[in-house]
Amino acid sequence: MTMLPEPAVATIGFDEVNLDAPFNANDAIVPMWKQRLRIFTHNKLAIASVGYLILITAACFIVPMLHHTNQTDQALALNAKWNAAPSWSHWLGIDGSGYDEMGRIFYGGEYSLTLGILAGMITIFVGTLYGMVAGFFGGVVDGAMMRLLDAFLSIPYLFLLITLITIYSRSTTFLIIIIGITGWWGNARIIRGDALLIRQLEYAQAATAMGASKWHIIRRHVFPNSISNIVTTGTFAVADAILALSALGFLGLGIQTPQTDWGTMLQNGTANISNGYWWQIYPLATIFILVIVAINYIGDAMRDAFEVRLLER
Amino acid sequence: MFTYVLRRLVQAFFVLMIVMLVTFTLPYFQPGGILAPAFAVLGTHATRAGVHLWGVQNGMNHPYVVRFWNYLVQVFGHFNLGHSYKQNLSVWGIISLYVPRTIWLAASSLFLTIVIAIPLGIFQASRRNSVADYAATGTAFVLYGMPLFLLCMLSLQAFAFKWPHLPASPPSGVSPWAMFTDPVGFILPVACLTLAGVAALSRYMRGTVLEVLVQDYVRTAKAKGCSSRRVLMRHAFRNALGPIVTILGLYLPGLLGGALIVESVFNYSGLGIQTVNAATTIDIPTVLGITLLVSILTLMGNLLADVMLGVVNPRIRIEGSSR
Repeated sequence: MTMLPEPAVATIGFDEVNLDAPFNANDAIVPMWKQRLRIFTHNKLAIASVGYLILITAACFIVPMLHHTNQTDQALALNAKWNAAPSWSHWLGIDGSGYDEMGRIFYGGEYSLTLGILAGMITIFVGTLYGMVAGFFGGVVDGAMMRLLDAFLSIPYLFLLITLITIYSRSTTFLIIIIGITGWWGNARIIRGDALLIRQLEYAQAATAMGASKWHIIRRHVFPNSISNIVTTGTFAVADAILALSALGFLGLGIQTPQTDWGTMLQNGTANISNGYWWQIYPLATIFILVIVAINYIGDAMRDAFEVRLLER
Repeated sequence: MFTYVLRRLVQAFFVLMIVMLVTFTLPYFQPGGILAPAFAVLGTHATRAGVHLWGVQNGMNHPYVVRFWNYLVQVFGHFNLGHSYKQNLSVWGIISLYVPRTIWLAASSLFLTIVIAIPLGIFQASRRNSVADYAATGTAFVLYGMPLFLLCMLSLQAFAFKWPHLPASPPSGVSPWAMFTDPVGFILPVACLTLAGVAALSRYMRGTVLEVLVQDYVRTAKAKGCSSRRVLMRHAFRNALGPIVTILGLYLPGLLGGALIVESVFNYSGLGIQTVNAATTIDIPTVLGITLLVSILTLMGNLLADVMLGVVNPRIRIEGSSR
């Protein structure tokens, strides 16, 4: 969100340089990744976001294994007390189908987070490749690829998702693939803009003059210099994939029972909203919103960290 | 200007053809192939002969290329989007019934989103890193992170049931003018859609205005002695308008997706609910028709926005024609 360097951040590390120390070629330049890491770690909220995400991810994969209830056993679900309020044996109560809410939240998180990350990776890969090829080759190739992209962009994303999922398949694998390959259009546009710009810069032209192949220029010049946008748009893509899955869960097209995801769980919880079963909504809603906010916040902090104007020269 | 519009129209036409090609081709890959809807229409116990007959009746026995050509002639020659498999209506009938309802919902929300998000962006950019800025950003973050259906359900619970001041649902008739005859029922749906829109856009608005505020001409304007109000309104806002309109154009499909969710929660039968129904019953002509129409709407919206910008700002016109 903050696209501008903050003046206060620009002097990070400046006071750490010891002017009296003898010149040593090895420590004269701080490696770029270290500078970036330093800018990133100076952002307290970003660190908190990373910590929160690690905590939740770890909990999602550990809690369902250790928790005393079975998260997917439908027979057990039928025996349990439906909609029971939180108690010592069920800290977050029981949901409308008889599953323990706490175990189920973290079990659903496995699906939501895994899907978000995998779909986000597909988005990054396809979007980057498409944008770079279009932007780098330019001309007719660019024109044709961008018109194709315009076509995709003019179809509402959610409509397309619903149609594809209902017509083809509702399996988890298909969900991942389809959310991934319908999410890259915006990314491709941004990366293409980068590639268009970078290929005209002096160093890319110099490489061309020295006889570098196009593939080499894409790999060694265009890609590293647009990494900032690739990483940040990729981060947002993960959050958007999780949100898209939750919208599908609301429409009953999410992960199918007995597996679950956060969107489906929230939908089941809100169906009981008038009964006052708060434990079926608010704990999960809090976790969910904070996950999305944390991912977005990390994306913002990464954009700052990749912002060249913030690095020491 | 005329050549620019013409050029954009030709481009939009090609884009539309691609949309049609893609959406027309997709049903071929469904399990059971292009005849799969036959079982949805005739029932799961349909005989082979019945399925074959249904295929012949609907022109499925022709090769792919011939079918696509027939579809193009049907759509562009006769303005006929076909006949719904499941509802005893032509696709045009369904669309003309429900499209105005969705358009009123989406358009009023879009208007409110613009009216709120742009001033908010300017305000946040001008008071950068103040408490108000952080509060607005934080609120937008939380609203953005919240699934839209949750926002709808929570506001429904709060304002329609706990403190029952607002009706829980818009009027359920199919009149396209319901929004004007009974506006109170639309307060909650439009408010939810607007909040989601503001949350999605305000981050870009703030960033766009910030980018403009560091430009040389803003510094020059300040140096000349312009009041900060005049700098913001005359210099920053005018120049930020271009990127803002582009963002709004890209936001249109998202807006329709949001309308789909809002329609489902508030039980307002519009395009979104029709799409979900058509997709779940494999009603291919309806899905194709709605997709086509929505794409045309989006393309026209983008075109209109660009042309308007070209009228306002001559620089864009020149950039556009040199591309």
